[in-house]
Amino acid sequence: MKKRILAVSLALVMIVMLFTGCGSNGTQTAAPSPSPEEEAPSAAPEKSERASGNEVSIGIAQDFDSLDPDHMTAAGTKEVLFNVFEGLVKPTAAGDIVPAVASSVEKSEDGLQYTFTLREGVKFHNGETVTADDVVYSIERRWNGEDTAAQLPALGVIESVEAGDNSVTITLTEPSNEFLASIMTAYILPKDYADQETSPCGTGPYKFVSREVQDNLVLERFADYWGEPGHLDKVTFRILENAEGLVLGLQSGALDLVAHMTTDQTMQLDEKEFTIAEGSMNLVQALYLNNAEKPFDDVRVRQALCYAVDKQAVIDLAFDGYGTPLGTSMFPSFSKYYDDSLTDYYQQDLAKAKELLAEAGYPDGFDMTITVPSNYTPHVNTATVLVELLREVGINVTVQPVDWGTWLQDVYTDRKFQSTITGLTSDNMTARKLLDRFASTAHNNFTNYSNEEYDEIFAQAIAATDDAEQVGLYKQLEKNLTENAANVYLQDMADLVAVRNGLQGLTFYPLYVLDVSALSWAA
Amino acid sequence: MKYVLKRLGLLLVTMILVSFLTFLAFQLVSGDPAVTMLGTDATAAQLQTLRHELGLDLPFLTRYFRWLGGFFTGNLGVSYSYRQPVWNLVSSKLTISLCLSLMSFVLIAVISIPAGIFSYSRTGGPLSWLRTVFNQLCMAVPPFFTGILFSWCFGILLKIFTPGDFPGFDSDFAESMRHIFFGAVCLAIPRIAMTIRMLRSTVVSEMNKAYVRTAISRGNDRRSVLMRHVLKNSMLSVVSFLGQTLAELVGAGIVVEQVLGIPGLGRFLVASISHRDYPVVQTIVVILAFWVVLAGTAADLINQAIDPRLRQGSRS
Repeated sequence: MKKRILAVSLALVMIVMLFTGCGSNGTQTAAPSPSPEEEAPSAAPEKSERASGNEVSIGIAQDFDSLDPDHMTAAGTKEVLFNVFEGLVKPTAAGDIVPAVASSVEKSEDGLQYTFTLREGVKFHNGETVTADDVVYSIERRWNGEDTAAQLPALGVIESVEAGDNSVTITLTEPSNEFLASIMTAYILPKDYADQETSPCGTGPYKFVSREVQDNLVLERFADYWGEPGHLDKVTFRILENAEGLVLGLQSGALDLVAHMTTDQTMQLDEKEFTIAEGSMNLVQALYLNNAEKPFDDVRVRQALCYAVDKQAVIDLAFDGYGTPLGTSMFPSFSKYYDDSLTDYYQQDLAKAKELLAEAGYPDGFDMTITVPSNYTPHVNTATVLVELLREVGINVTVQPVDWGTWLQDVYTDRKFQSTITGLTSDNMTARKLLDRFASTAHNNFTNYSNEEYDEIFAQAIAATDDAEQVGLYKQLEKNLTENAANVYLQDMADLVAVRNGLQGLTFYPLYVLDVSALSWAA
Repeated sequence: MKYVLKRLGLLLVTMILVSFLTFLAFQLVSGDPAVTMLGTDATAAQLQTLRHELGLDLPFLTRYFRWLGGFFTGNLGVSYSYRQPVWNLVSSKLTISLCLSLMSFVLIAVISIPAGIFSYSRTGGPLSWLRTVFNQLCMAVPPFFTGILFSWCFGILLKIFTPGDFPGFDSDFAESMRHIFFGAVCLAIPRIAMTIRMLRSTVVSEMNKAYVRTAISRGNDRRSVLMRHVLKNSMLSVVSFLGQTLAELVGAGIVVEQVLGIPGLGRFLVASISHRDYPVVQTIVVILAFWVVLAGTAADLINQAIDPRLRQGSRS
């Protein structure tokens, strides 16, 4: 009761303060239309422009999940904590893998042993120096630790991890060309440090300061970073899940940078204040078809869908022309593996589509359902466009929006769906990550794609030790997916980033990460 | 005393019932917290192990009673997505939401009651149609729209507060309060309009009753009859309505919290539902149920103070 009285009286005091302090503005409670003659209140003018000092505030649309690097699953969490954690090796914006906590890597002749020499004097954010023990602990936790949630299936090829004198040797059960890329996200953590959930501690250029759930997360430059230090002293991430809230935050000066915006949002911003940078999201957006479900178990029906859909029309209508059309499960920024010739394999051809449908026994088309996660507006908009495009060939589409939890369960885990729209990404820089899910026995093959030829080539590809040979095999896999119309491939979505003028250094990676260490304010 | 016990009993039953229904609802909709926790890369074996660790493989009732047991011993559990004790996560949001709802409620009560009486006494004036239109407009305007409008007008043009930069009570109390104040106004506008309309129509119907005619025929002027008798009688329905409003406000804050970037319970609840973070959802739902019962009790008590007949009714 006391608390309530206190709160009520505080509220009253505030109202009085507001009304007296803000002069004539206080009385406008409804439908305000301020006339220019009115004096602008003197309250907090320093907050109107960007936050003073060498700081940046970044708006993000969803909250972080667990901050323990081995427990985080949300792409948005990995995107940001990329600045806090590092593995033995790390990716560059150009798509290379370079030494990080390790200073060099040596691979044995037979490809079964990797020896990582640790960099001298790499410090954790808690001030301690990284030792071989810490590295062994971190890798083991990811590989086969007691904590099941932390285990990374991709590290299954490891046989043993041993600490040497300032070095760590990892032995594999079989040679793997992609081992370095998969060890990249096995972040190096201080041994037996128990507070990763609440106060994460790594070796990256920025260190964790504080976090308020569903509100903000603050990072600070790590002064003892081994490499080139960050430019900004402090970076605040603000969670504003509402699209309008993000735009208002940019306009009010509360935010300096927001990534993954829609054109609806960017068009509201003033060009004098903001620059819109365009990168790509590095994902494969497609109408994913359940290949085990009628009528999509028939390759002719799947091909008919591909002939019916004009990718550019989807990009133009739902994305205002921003986006790169794709023809298979690979995107251009993985340039080594990307085969551009597959993009136009199916040109829109309604007659051909109808012919294929008739051959398959659906001369009058059929009814189908697209299940979309309703929290992803781009996917929902795409579905709306597809309804119209598929109507042209007599296919009657129902869009079924479901919430994220339901989508994960029904579509992704239980595979109880007919078709869905989503974007699939790779969180390490391997083609395998994008292609392994179409092997018929893969645990994450939610589209139930099953093709003997594909399985054979895939087995060869992952066993290949010669890089050129492996790349060739991966390209064959991509072609297989296109030819058999595994899914209706659409595009790699554009990543529109609003950046306050004066803030420079925004770099796009071939991964879903936001590198804040490169950001700085122009002098 | 009997009344207090009765109310406490009601509170307890409501909370248990609500928590059970929430638990049941999650049982019926699809969605698996283990999948949300492990992400799309997890293997079936990993999912199974985690389900076992979390006790998700136990029968429904066992899980519910475990949760209930924990709740009564002060253990609200650990959030699935954040892996931290639920209470640590919820408590700061609770303070913010309480401030928002209470401030909004005070605005509603303080503005609408005098305005309702004023509106009655000026019925039929030359500008009465304008007032009606304005009232309708206020009633119809959705809080998210006023939220955007206010952020733009008071935040971006007049710079009274900075939308999207809620600092928290600890670091900047005044700025936080300004955010909350504008949020409270957005929430209050349609409800003030409703309360005014309601008070006015109740007063109108009361004024046509026989006791008013008697009072006036005995030489009292209309104004004193209005103030002394009619208002008191009209207040009963208004107080019940305000009680309901108070109960609604916590939940209704969600949209305003999102637009103005106020980190309150509503936003947290929505996010937790989509992550199937049961321990958090359960706690917030029980808090909301508690709040609703509390608001109802308060309205009841005030009505009993106004009208002694109600007190006798409750005793029998």
